[in-house]
Amino acid sequence: MTLHFQPSSPDHVPAELMIDFDMFHIPDGVNDPVEIWHDLVRRGVPKIFYTPRNGGHWVFLNYDDIVEGYRNHAIFSTYQTPVPPIEPFPVVQPQGVDPPAHNVFRRLLAPMFTPIAVRGMVGELERRAATLIDGFAAQGQCDFITDFAERYPTGTFLYLFGLPEDRLDEFLALANTFFRSTDPAARAQNITEIYALLDTLFRQKEREPGNDIASAIVNARDDAGNQHPWEDILNCGFLLFVAGLDTVTNTLAYVWRYLATTPAAQQHFRERLDDPDAFLRAIEELMRINAVSNLFRRVTHDCEYKGVAMRRNDRVVLPNTVANRDPRVFRDPQVIDLDREVNVHLTFGVGPHRCIGSLLAKREVMVSLQQWLRRIPAFELADDQPAGSVFGGSVMGFTALRLRWDV
Amino acid sequence: MRVIANRDLCQGHARCEDLCHEVFATDAIEGKVVIVQADVPTALEDKARLAVRNCPEGALRVGRSGKGDDA
Ligand code: HEM
Ligand code: SF4
Repeated sequence: MTLHFQPSSPDHVPAELMIDFDMFHIPDGVNDPVEIWHDLVRRGVPKIFYTPRNGGHWVFLNYDDIVEGYRNHAIFSTYQTPVPPIEPFPVVQPQGVDPPAHNVFRRLLAPMFTPIAVRGMVGELERRAATLIDGFAAQGQCDFITDFAERYPTGTFLYLFGLPEDRLDEFLALANTFFRSTDPAARAQNITEIYALLDTLFRQKEREPGNDIASAIVNARDDAGNQHPWEDILNCGFLLFVAGLDTVTNTLAYVWRYLATTPAAQQHFRERLDDPDAFLRAIEELMRINAVSNLFRRVTHDCEYKGVAMRRNDRVVLPNTVANRDPRVFRDPQVIDLDREVNVHLTFGVGPHRCIGSLLAKREVMVSLQQWLRRIPAFELADDQPAGSVFGGSVMGFTALRLRWDV
Repeated sequence: MRVIANRDLCQGHARCEDLCHEVFATDAIEGKVVIVQADVPTALEDKARLAVRNCPEGALRVGRSGKGDDA
């Protein structure tokens, strides 16, 4: 197969900008995956550098450049960006399309993720969080990842798409292969299965529309009054499936891991259970310090950016965790200040592709923590946490998080 | 004090609404900012200013009241 969007060989990269960095590799002994990024900053590597790993890509380390990578789609496109490069790759809607065409699906989805829409989901989010936590509260222990953090956002997807809750295990299995498998055959098979499932689902929602996002997407009409291309519909369903699972799972994991090791922070939240503004402010801060995703862009044409020569199809990686601790933007950036007042973090990106599900994601974290604190007393890390249960990549996080509390 | 929004820059983070819902809201169709009261009452000025500083898109501005310089 001809690969059209392969990065060029890096002979345009000067030696001083070449750094050997593998964003997928977490060295033994590192128990927090974001540290591989902060280690680069501590080592003082150039703020714009190129690594030959994973097909070769640039990395931006300044907040301002990361914002530029997000916003300046004339140079930094979201079209066909995977690192390492994979082709063919679905042009997901709306993330994989540059403005202005991007706006077609962005506008279609927007009404379903507004503050008003998300407020309407709170009762259901609370009910599901409470049910899951009640399932293990009396045991005095859980694996937070498998018992809660994976199940919860997967349940949210079923709810958004008007699917019955009893299909949770089926979707969980699909998601786990998608996010964790490194076997190319299993991955290819998995994507085929997800698309087949979405195809069946959208066909059914076309015949019997419900009050859900899948029905809204499949029954939407373009400016000429036609249904959107079937491929775009599937690619939008696919994005909604993958965008809100691993991200939410690992954000939850980071928050609970921090709380389990910081009793004062547990207390901070407990004292603010009836103060949603302060509760949300503290969650924003934990989202700043624990930004799980690293986004990809592709250079659209040979050009110079800030004096650095870039070639068409070069990949660029934008690590939000580094932007979020830039001392030029955040006061005491390494300090976790649960009352931080000005917090323009990039955990959800910025610019036209900024996360459309951010209000839902924040609400999922907030509701989970409220329900948890009402049911579980002081909790801590258990002794049986398996070593090395961390991973890097475009989303970083944990494969296990063993917690315990007194019953 | 007056607040001015640029809806072209706004991407609907709703940080402004979270921080000062008396002044900022979000519409139900595009999910973008709507100014509820452009002339901010004195008692709300600090809150509204904090909301402006928390907009990650730089879509909000503070102006002097009475100046109708809607951007
Ligand atoms: C803590 C959890 C989450 C994080 C950290 C996160 C992060 C992000 C980021 C950084 C982007 C920008 C992508 C880019 O610029 O290329 C994005 C886009 C997106 N996210 Fe999220 N996300 C989260 C949860 C969700 C949820 C729950 C949903 C939906 C159910 C969702 C749906 C989307 C969609 C549809 C886009 C593409 C928007 C566009 O291209 O216009 N995300 N997300
Ligand atoms: S915080 Fe800024 S981008 Fe977000 S809704 Fe308000 S004005 Fe728009």
